Amino acid sequence: MHAQIVLFDGFDPLDVIAPYEVLHAGGAASGGLVTVELASAEGPREVAGGTGGLALRATAALDPARADLVLVPGASGRVAAPDEADGPAPDAGDRQQDASIPVLLGRTLTTGLPALLRTAVADPEVIVGAVCGGTLVLAMAGLLEGRHATTHHLGLDMLDATGVHAVRARVVDDGDLVTGAGVTSGLDLALHLLEREVGPRIAHAVEELFAYERRGVVWRDRGPVPTAA
Amino acid sequence: MPVEGVWDLSVSTPIGLVEAVVELRREDGLLRGAAHGAGEEVPLGDVRLEGDRLTWKQAVTTPLRLNLAFDVTVTGDTLTGTSRAGRLPASKVTGRRRALPPAGEPRR
Repeated sequence: MHAQIVLFDGFDPLDVIAPYEVLHAGGAASGGLVTVELASAEGPREVAGGTGGLALRATAALDPARADLVLVPGASGRVAAPDEADGPAPDAGDRQQDASIPVLLGRTLTTGLPALLRTAVADPEVIVGAVCGGTLVLAMAGLLEGRHATTHHLGLDMLDATGVHAVRARVVDDGDLVTGAGVTSGLDLALHLLEREVGPRIAHAVEELFAYERRGVVWRDRGPVPTAA
Repeated sequence: MPVEGVWDLSVSTPIGLVEAVVELRREDGLLRGAAHGAGEEVPLGDVRLEGDRLTWKQAVTTPLRLNLAFDVTVTGDTLTGTSRAGRLPASKVTGRRRALPPAGEPRR
């Protein structure tokens, strides 16, 4: 399984690093069954994250034809009140500092990213993953209509408003779309993908190496619907 | 208060201000509407007028996908009110009706 983790301006570093390390360790533990690289819609470049400008280097162009897994992180920035944004909607030239998370996520809509993600979502051979606000990047681009997904708890109402069935769970498995909740859920998401795509023994070996155990049920749209409490 | 016509709206969303064009018309006495943008026309849902209070639902696709519920008050050729994206808190909407060509002038 070859994974590409997407970098965009203002990304949340932990959303990227947590799954990167888990998948990389899964590759090491499985004799190379998993490979992972950082990619951007614009090709190889240094990309500044949203946490104090901490940057990571994309070594490849995002290319769903080359990837079995495309993983989208969220953004890091100010947590804005939902009705706070009253400036103009994003345009590519606008790069002021101190942007709120919804604005940073919205800026991706003016880049080449949505078109590439559309290709990835449309291809049943490609698993699309998202951590935290990464789900909103996909949802705001209109790519998750009617799907089940989760995002950071502060973004669930926004996710719901994009036509997605928003689920308050740590990891939601909707087949070729697998999403995680807030920031640290990227560990759980990647461990779940390792277990599902490579095997439980490899996932367990990485858990042990990282001194971290997954928590919570991986939500799937299966089985009886719980009655209201 | 007749609300038919073409309205230019400015809508606050979580990612900033979004411009929208909404057309309202009467068909067989029923108020109907459509939103125009980026070469597509999206029908409005549940268009209701009570006095000068106008409400409708709209599925926005550009620049971002968002289900919005509008609740505005019409005063002459302007409207003000709110739109709600799902369960998010309501945010501000303002709008202005486009002037019709003067009566008697040929329409092209």
